[in-house]
Amino acid sequence: MTHPRLSGAGLGFRRDLIPALKSGVPEAIDFFELAPENWIDLGGRYARDLRQFTERHPFVCHGLSLSLGGLTPLDEVLLRKIKAFMAEHRISLYTEHLSYCSDHGHLYDLLPIPPTEEAVKYVAARIRRVQDILEQKIAIENASYYVAAPIGEMDEPTFINAVLQEADCWLHLDVNNIYVNSVNFKFDPVDYLRRMPAERIVYMHMAGHYQEAPDLIIDTHGADVIDPVWQLLDTAYGLLGVHPTCLERDFNIPPLQVLMQEVARIAEIQSNRLKQIERAA
Amino acid sequence: MDFQQYQREFTAHIRDPRNVSRPKGVPARLMKVYNGLLYNNMEGFLLSCFPVCRKILGKRRWDRVVRAFFRDHVSHTPYFRQIPEEFLKYLQAEWEHPDDIPAFLPELAHYEWVELELDTSDRDTNLPAHDPTGDLLAERPLLNPVSRVLAYRWPVHRLSPRFKPSEAPTQPTFALAFRDADMHVRFILINSASARLLNLVQDNPDATGREIVTLLAQEMALSPDVLLGFAHSLMQGFLAQGAILGVRV
Repeated sequence: MTHPRLSGAGLGFRRDLIPALKSGVPEAIDFFELAPENWIDLGGRYARDLRQFTERHPFVCHGLSLSLGGLTPLDEVLLRKIKAFMAEHRISLYTEHLSYCSDHGHLYDLLPIPPTEEAVKYVAARIRRVQDILEQKIAIENASYYVAAPIGEMDEPTFINAVLQEADCWLHLDVNNIYVNSVNFKFDPVDYLRRMPAERIVYMHMAGHYQEAPDLIIDTHGADVIDPVWQLLDTAYGLLGVHPTCLERDFNIPPLQVLMQEVARIAEIQSNRLKQIERAA
Repeated sequence: MDFQQYQREFTAHIRDPRNVSRPKGVPARLMKVYNGLLYNNMEGFLLSCFPVCRKILGKRRWDRVVRAFFRDHVSHTPYFRQIPEEFLKYLQAEWEHPDDIPAFLPELAHYEWVELELDTSDRDTNLPAHDPTGDLLAERPLLNPVSRVLAYRWPVHRLSPRFKPSEAPTQPTFALAFRDADMHVRFILINSASARLLNLVQDNPDATGREIVTLLAQEMALSPDVLLGFAHSLMQGFLAQGAILGVRV
């Protein structure tokens, strides 16, 4: 399996960060990630700014609106727009959430697909169709969720593995989401990591969340990453290999220099792990 | 399929938690997490586009309108920045206007939305060839494609929590909104003749400035000579501000 070229530590590209990034992209940022739905067909100052960055830095597309588990036919118009956008900005990887975000219309947030045999077949067929249209493999991301469907037939790692195999796609592993779900549904996150297929991982996600109650975490991307999630990232590198990793921050966005401390910490954990691997070799 | 039936029940409840029960076996506390997250997410997108509507309605009435939109409107756009446009379409075409909500709300929402629409528009991607120094009367003026000639029954630019008229004035309000060369959106109040002139420029891309003025003069039952000077200096002004880009070549 040939993965797209991507390495090191990345940061979610947002309008709010553009003024700071214009005065210099910090060295520690190896790549940016953007939501294509926020930039497709966009004009004006933000579009002008984006071009300056995509011309100089590697970008990844991380989608929000495709609704892989959705009830209505796949939005092929959106997919063709994404394809053209990626060609225009020379972006080689597109990932989406293993979730749905619509019923008969868009709901603009991610909802959990009930993990059933039927759902595996349905979602995998849609992913294959996406890959046919884009003429390349995509990666799917393990999503955070708060309600386990009573009709579920399997646990989350089983569901993810089944979809990955049936669709033959890559995995975009969100370490924070594993932590969030492990608290909300009381499972061992390290056991979860052990069950992920390392060879399918293209990159990883890190983010902060909001602890609403001892047994309920909301995946807000609006706070600093907490220590147990940093530890889980290190464990993930140990078990699955050191993969490119992007920091997501979508709310309460602090100044770039503050965010950079977390990007730098990703790079540091990566480099420590790589040194260990070198010593062992 | 069973899982899709479950998804339908799940989303139907999120859209209308008061009247549609949640799927069997789903804990109320966790279901509420989704109800809150999705509604607040949607409301946040609308709030950033419609701050004046929100202020004028106050929290209770604003929430009622947004809730009705979230429950009833079927939005097909995958693009988040177009959510406000969906709201606008809803207000204009689907919404049943309650008595306690000002009649001007759809027009005010449109006025607020224009700023977002022009700020993010890509209609200037493939501009027709043009000369910014050309003669606006002898040649064919090119209107900035990232602009809108606006006409409202209500004085939308003055509406506020302190000014909420219940009757529309006899005179409509005309404005020109456009994105200038520095990528800033600007609004200019104009009179009805200027608005009509700009509409004619927009609708008659093959007409010279002089021909446009002749059309306008006919409509106003005036001699073109009377209007020529007025129209020329008006177009010069729009050119200087960036609402007219020059003449087509």
